[in-house]
Amino acid sequence: MDERMVRVIGILIDSFFPLLKAGLMFTVPLTIISFFLGMIVAFTVAIIRVSNFKPLLAIVKFYVWIIRGTPLLVQLFIIFYGLPSIGLTLDAFVSAVIGFTLSVGAYGSETIRAAILSVPKGQWEAAHALGLSKSQTLLYIIIPQAIKVAIPPMANSFISLVKDTSLAAAITFTELFQVAQQITARTYEPLWLYIEAGSIYLIFCSVLTILQSRLEIKFGKSGD
Amino acid sequence: MIKLENVYKSFDHLEVLKNINLTVQKGEVVCIIGPSGSGKSTLLRSLNQLERITSGSVYIDNELVDERSNNKDISKISSKKISEVCSELGMVFQRFNLFPHMTVLENVMLSPMKIKKLSKQESMERALKLLHKVGLTDKKDEYPSKLSGGQQQRVAIARALAMEPKIMLFDEPTSALDPELVCEVLDVMKGLAKEGMTMLVVTHEMGFAREVADRVIFMDNGEILETDRPENIFNNPGHMRTKEFLSRIL
Repeated sequence: MDERMVRVIGILIDSFFPLLKAGLMFTVPLTIISFFLGMIVAFTVAIIRVSNFKPLLAIVKFYVWIIRGTPLLVQLFIIFYGLPSIGLTLDAFVSAVIGFTLSVGAYGSETIRAAILSVPKGQWEAAHALGLSKSQTLLYIIIPQAIKVAIPPMANSFISLVKDTSLAAAITFTELFQVAQQITARTYEPLWLYIEAGSIYLIFCSVLTILQSRLEIKFGKSGD
Repeated sequence: MIKLENVYKSFDHLEVLKNINLTVQKGEVVCIIGPSGSGKSTLLRSLNQLERITSGSVYIDNELVDERSNNKDISKISSKKISEVCSELGMVFQRFNLFPHMTVLENVMLSPMKIKKLSKQESMERALKLLHKVGLTDKKDEYPSKLSGGQQQRVAIARALAMEPKIMLFDEPTSALDPELVCEVLDVMKGLAKEGMTMLVVTHEMGFAREVADRVIFMDNGEILETDRPENIFNNPGHMRTKEFLSRIL
């Protein structure tokens, strides 16, 4: 028993830095890049939806419907394993970025749309009465107020994305969880290694939660 | 300055404006009174197209800005032209509608900077002058939520004036205020009237209408029933409905 414990502790210590390194070098960049691109998609889709821009409305509604109605894992498999059969071969990282971007974009667009709609009608009216155009109204009046409403739910989806990136292990991308799987295959200590991997996710998410509350305090200070 | 011809407006099947004909001259102060739901606010809001009329014509400063028949736009005026003409109309709302994420000063500076394309310096000078006029220079760096209702409404007046409008529209500017704050807003409005601003005011403040208005319009059920000098309307109303309304409110 003692010997076993010593062995496990040795494995945990040896694997900690490879896991942390995979997290910092692959999980974190994948999360940040996907989230950043996803936010651009989300904003664009939300603006198209609230401004009722007819030519694109059907397309963005279709996009949100597909992404929200199918599992993320299935989407990743289609992009990585499916697309090569029509001649489009993407590497694992690019496939993962595309998959997560589309996902963040679809869910985020609903959050941002709701945030934009939560700004009182009187704000639009006051801007119109001053002579601001629709796009000026969005830019200077509506979006700054909507962002404040959207920050808590968007920070939530960011934290949730950190964990969702572990799905990229299934398309061979060597992020944190994939590395944990590799070490497990070598050492046969799944319980302890997966707990260790989980703990590293927990550390990442705890840091983000602290950042989130700082961000909310910062954006919450002006106005009502 | 303002001319409405045969204006009708309906929401679905509810007619809220019926055959409105109205002219307001330069420098005139016109108060619109009447029971709630009589179409006063809708009339005001159709001038800067916050509401689209169903049929009729609207002229601002001798220019046709809206002409409709059966809800169809028959004037084909470009939206750029419309916002140009509308920016000659300043509007003050019942609920102030200040921009909560901007300071008082930023609220007033925004439209000169973004629409008139004035420099930051010029916009600030103009804004400070207007804040001085409404007596709120010391509040310039506060956010609207820190101000009383009366102060917020005075900022809203300054914000509207920053576009140097030729006409000011007031939509029940004191109805959302505590009674002791009504005076400070009315005083600012009186000052504007004295300077010769053309004003169209929807109000329940009969004292203000009596003292400041050149003409008072009584509306009921979407129609203008009576328009006359205030002393005639208040002392000797010509219409039964006006008499009833005034006896209830005074």
